[in-house]
Amino acid sequence: MKTLEFNGSGAEYFKIWIVNILLVLVTFGFYYPWAKVRNKRYFYANTCLEGRYFDYHATGKQLFFGYLIAMTLLIAYLVLEQVYPIGSVVMILLFFIATPWVMWRSMKFNLSMTSFSNVRFSFDGLLGGAYINYMLLPAVLFLSIYGVPILLAILLSMVDSPLTWLTILIAFLGVIVTVCLAIYLSALILKRNTAYAINSYRFGQGSLATNVETKEFSFIVLKTVGIGFLLGVASMVIITVLSVLLVGSQAILDLFNGLDDPEMLSSAFGMLSMILAPTYLMLIGSSLFLFAYFYAKKRAYVYANSTLDGNTRFSSTLRPGAYALVTLTNFFAVIFSLGLATPWAKVRVMRLILENTHVDTDSGFDEYITAKQEEQSSLGEQIGDAFDVDVEFGI
Amino acid sequence: MKILGRLYKEGSAAWSDAALTTHGEEAHVFVDEQSVLRDKLVHLIVSDRLGNVERKVIFTDGSVFATSDNDGIDRLFAGHRKKLSGLLHRLESNIRSVVIALLVTTLCFFTFVKWGIPWTSSKIAHALPFSVNELIAQNSLEFLDEYIFEESKLEKNKTDQIRAHFQKIIKPIEAEHADIVFNLYFRDWQTGEQGIPNAFALPSGDIILTDKFIELCSSQDEINSVLLHEVGHVLHRHTLERIIEATFVATVVMMITGDNNGFADIGLGLGSLLLSSNYSRDHESEADVYAFEQMLAARVDPKVFSDILSRMSTYMEEAKEQSTKQDWVDYISSHPSTQDRVEQALHYSECFKKGKLHCPPNS
Repeated sequence: MKTLEFNGSGAEYFKIWIVNILLVLVTFGFYYPWAKVRNKRYFYANTCLEGRYFDYHATGKQLFFGYLIAMTLLIAYLVLEQVYPIGSVVMILLFFIATPWVMWRSMKFNLSMTSFSNVRFSFDGLLGGAYINYMLLPAVLFLSIYGVPILLAILLSMVDSPLTWLTILIAFLGVIVTVCLAIYLSALILKRNTAYAINSYRFGQGSLATNVETKEFSFIVLKTVGIGFLLGVASMVIITVLSVLLVGSQAILDLFNGLDDPEMLSSAFGMLSMILAPTYLMLIGSSLFLFAYFYAKKRAYVYANSTLDGNTRFSSTLRPGAYALVTLTNFFAVIFSLGLATPWAKVRVMRLILENTHVDTDSGFDEYITAKQEEQSSLGEQIGDAFDVDVEFGI
Repeated sequence: MKILGRLYKEGSAAWSDAALTTHGEEAHVFVDEQSVLRDKLVHLIVSDRLGNVERKVIFTDGSVFATSDNDGIDRLFAGHRKKLSGLLHRLESNIRSVVIALLVTTLCFFTFVKWGIPWTSSKIAHALPFSVNELIAQNSLEFLDEYIFEESKLEKNKTDQIRAHFQKIIKPIEAEHADIVFNLYFRDWQTGEQGIPNAFALPSGDIILTDKFIELCSSQDEINSVLLHEVGHVLHRHTLERIIEATFVATVVMMITGDNNGFADIGLGLGSLLLSSNYSRDHESEADVYAFEQMLAARVDPKVFSDILSRMSTYMEEAKEQSTKQDWVDYISSHPSTQDRVEQALHYSECFKKGKLHCPPNS
């Protein structure tokens, strides 16, 4: 097993980052595509496996027209939103319909612009697959999460006596069924999305393949939900204890009694702000931890079950606690530095992730050769960027 | 001079250790002391320098020579590379230029947000035909009538009187701006049992006065001063400006978050909220100054404006104290800038007393 290395540094990236921002500002945003290329290249070209480097090959010029069109669409949307809200709703709808296409184009473009050891990646997933995985399946999930409780409510409203032990049992079962269904369907979507993406990745003439299963994903989702529940209960207990200790139970009672009296309310509100800060902290801490837990577990599972041509294997040893700690400290560093710590924060996360990524190859990489591919337009990629569509294809 | 690196065949992952040298206008690549590749320097593509990232020299046959010897490449191709890419690296590696970039960026950002956005928005708003304003205002009055306003309970001869004065003020203004038609409407606006005193203008030139406002006014001059303030909003196209400003702010926010994680959005959302309230304060004082200038020209003391403004604000304060069901949001939204506006009115009142027809605003 060989481990990926990251050769960049926060200080070096800071200089590149600040010069990028300066140039974007003085060119009224027109430099953005070039800045984006420099940012991306810095992270790709500093990523190394056994002396072989990744690289990002798109040029500012290639991104520029896609960028112009995407910005025009974004501005049109923002103007419509103010002037003619119905128009902006129609635009959101159109955009929603186009989202799988945007993600598909984005993956095609970005992978074709990425190389490892002088060999390009590519993406040959079908557009239909993108629509099934990024639109149809999430729609089914959405409908069933909302559909089951609604059906249940209709059913219960038809029963004459509303509160017998039978109806309570039905309601209870309904909640359980909904939760199970939601967990199962999320796991199914995770499996389908992962399989669609990874099985469509090509490295030169080689193919990546994965054999992830819904069952394993169900466990990961279930554990995440369980930990989330425990964290929620724990936070609530801590906040209650804290508020009684810090503010005193009398003040809390005053707060409820004072809802009608503005003067009393405002004084109670001042005291409340003392527990507001720790509450907010706990909320951020636990949501970051949950995200880190889910991400790390999912990553480890997917990497362990994917190969390149059956003879190159991957593994991820990213631990949820370490990842959560880095994202949490990054969060505060970025806020208290008014954004100036952003480059350092990004480098830190990148280093942690890469140094926990391992590759084991029987055949080596020398036999890989870039496969012929059509030129990809950057339009979808740039629209995705402008409208914040997350397309993830982690290395 | 010799640069050590690796030679890749086009699109191939395998490499051989190689050395690159130049002879006059030609580059030679040696593998095991054997010359394997030569090409004119002008035909080579050299990747931009970026930190200490591996540098790539691409030959016409697609072969790639990769090396970490960035300085060597810079020296070798000193005469042949695009000036611009070298400049970028010099900017990024020189600590003084980075500090300058940091300062200039902060300054640019501040200037752009403070003056650039409002200035550009105002220019764009005035470059558009006035019909855009009518487009925005379309159906607004119907909407307000349906959900917020009730019919005015004022006596007809009272409103006729106000209308007559309004026509007198508005005639010369309409003559100057042929594309705008001003209309006056009277409506009643109640929350709970209390009437709300207010006057506002739709971008199309429709001006609405509420019953409570008329009730609070003690003279026709006070009503006129507020009408002129509203006319100022319309002539400065403030609604349109606000829309354009909001678009700018949203675009800037998007460009910042595009490079950031989701948590930064929280801070940015708050920032853009403060920003837009700052812009709208600027609009208020701009409309005030317009009204004061008009009043000086018409020989009316601008003090009346401060009178009605203070009376409205006192009324709202009292209404709040009397009311039992007020939520704390109202405490935040009460106007903190009323004091500044009253002072500006008194400044113009001084000018009036000195008999001036024009007067620069007090900053």
